[in-house]
Amino acid sequence: MMKKYGKRFLAAALAGVMALACTACAGSGAAASSGSASAAGSAAAGSKKIGVIQYTTVPSLDNCYKGFLKGLEDEGYVKDKNLTIDFQNAQAETATADTEAQTMATKKYDLIGAIATPAAMSAYAAAKANDIPVVFTAVSDPVAAKLVKSLDQPGSVATGSSDQLPLEAQVKMIRAFLPKAKKIGILYTTSEPNSVSTLERLKKIAPKYNFEVVGQGVTNDSEVASGAQALVAKGVDCFNNFTDNNVVNNLQSELQAANKAGIPVFGSEEEQVRGGCLASVSIDYTALGEETGKIAGKILKGEAKPQDTKVYTSESGTPIYNTDVVSTLKLTVPTDYQNATKTTTTKKA
Amino acid sequence: MDIFLGLVQVVLREGFIYGIMAVGVYITYKVLDFPDLTVDGSFPLGACTAAMLITAGVNPWLACLICFAAGAAAGAVTGFLHVRLHITDLLSGILVMTALYSVNMAITGKKAVVSFFDMPTIFSSGLGGTLHSALGQWGWVIMAAIVCLVIKLVIDLYLKTRSGLLLRAAGSNAKFVVSLGKDPGRMKILGLILGNGLTALSGCVLAQQKESADVTSGTGMVVMSLAAVIIGVSLLGRVRWMKPTMMAVIGMILYRACLTVAMQLGLDTNYLKMLMSIIFVIALVASRFASGRRKHNVVTVDRSSI
Repeated sequence: MMKKYGKRFLAAALAGVMALACTACAGSGAAASSGSASAAGSAAAGSKKIGVIQYTTVPSLDNCYKGFLKGLEDEGYVKDKNLTIDFQNAQAETATADTEAQTMATKKYDLIGAIATPAAMSAYAAAKANDIPVVFTAVSDPVAAKLVKSLDQPGSVATGSSDQLPLEAQVKMIRAFLPKAKKIGILYTTSEPNSVSTLERLKKIAPKYNFEVVGQGVTNDSEVASGAQALVAKGVDCFNNFTDNNVVNNLQSELQAANKAGIPVFGSEEEQVRGGCLASVSIDYTALGEETGKIAGKILKGEAKPQDTKVYTSESGTPIYNTDVVSTLKLTVPTDYQNATKTTTTKKA
Repeated sequence: MDIFLGLVQVVLREGFIYGIMAVGVYITYKVLDFPDLTVDGSFPLGACTAAMLITAGVNPWLACLICFAAGAAAGAVTGFLHVRLHITDLLSGILVMTALYSVNMAITGKKAVVSFFDMPTIFSSGLGGTLHSALGQWGWVIMAAIVCLVIKLVIDLYLKTRSGLLLRAAGSNAKFVVSLGKDPGRMKILGLILGNGLTALSGCVLAQQKESADVTSGTGMVVMSLAAVIIGVSLLGRVRWMKPTMMAVIGMILYRACLTVAMQLGLDTNYLKMLMSIIFVIALVASRFASGRRKHNVVTVDRSSI
């Protein structure tokens, strides 16, 4: 096919430049990434090496990691002192999460932490062949993802915490705020497994409070505005959000549609209420991460084994409401929620 | 040393599995000169189909065949859109890729992530199981290598047949094919069928190896496989005895190696995509300089339209 000898030099040059590009970028990146290479020499006795894979960058997952470190500290493992952490963000690509998990398993780390479902699945697949414990967090349905056999008795190398939304408490609150409402509109992204499974749960809970659930799936951010509009057209009395990354990132589009129709939006996190939602009974992701960190700490100490460590779930949540929205919509705060945390619209979501 | 060997295992295993896709993309991109974006959809199509079939208890090898057929069907649609309905190559790929998202969601029953841990797969039962219990992690590498190399050989053999020669001619000199009284459009469709069948098969094998499938796993597959083909062909193009399909596979292994090395050196994954693009550009430019006459990637401006 190709005959020129000059090609040989070009090929060699290409290989050289590729290697250079690798090392050059790596050099500048090394400082930014959380000390994966160091600490091996200065580590004290009893120190551990763990890897953490975070699936993508969103505030709730970032908070999970923050809490995770705090929980480990509570159990006596301090980052960069007696704990080396190789933290990797998969940037929302499963192929990257897989490679990260495989490398961590290969390096025989003492434990792999995984934040969000896809990361947990990559970690589990890589770790189970090597018998390395996996501690996950922000996985809404670990049983459906087959990470554990049951929440009480995982029976596998994995355990951790689940971020199932406290839905019953949320629906109860919606009923208290809107005594006459009939339909709850749900905007969810079809590719986010948490949203789909949460919707199924909500459909079971809602009839107990005489609500009908109207779901509207969207596939990307450009569809959020029209999806919200479609729900308004279907005559919903309010919106309720899940921890759906796509919807939460485009909260303003949803709020615009709802505000125009004069109906309230219930959030799933405090941040959303500060961004203009009416109220929510929400999970504290930092606290969730902290509980997860404690589980990881106990496993590292050898005090617990993943196969019989209960998966931590946050069933009760903290109610919070936005006084600005209450007055714009001319609602009254129900007596049961008079003592809930109050906030105002502080920022655009 | 153990760690180093372990990393080699990971790179080789992933390289061979994604290498199946690289062979497919070699057919569409290099042989047919068709930038096929369907790949981003047919890869998860294979993974999702495999997940559902294996959950249903279908034999894993049979699942591979069905996945190939599913990918082939997707390729046929792209070919039909382009050849028969005269939609541009890029656009027909994008259209089918977009549609496949819905298809994949329908296959998985609206679940974005499907896991089938501890079910029989080609890596855990039969030959794969024997290899794994005898050689541990290397067993998986060998299994991936066997699947990839057998497919490469079959494709090599095919390209030597009458139909294969016509396929190659359709990419490089369509007029010649017409002069033989054959339809180059038909060969294009055939090439897309093969390419996407192999991509889906690659997704299927990967899903079986990690025992789960994700509808979003197609992101970046076009770039990854194009880069692998280009790196392979521009680095190894001078090795005369080597078949281009082998170059594509080795290109994929090198690509995965670059990625793993970058992660190992502590490169913040934020910069990973930039690094991959840089490697891609270098390989692309180098391959054009190296082959001189080749003008695949040069945009020619039609001055009459300005």
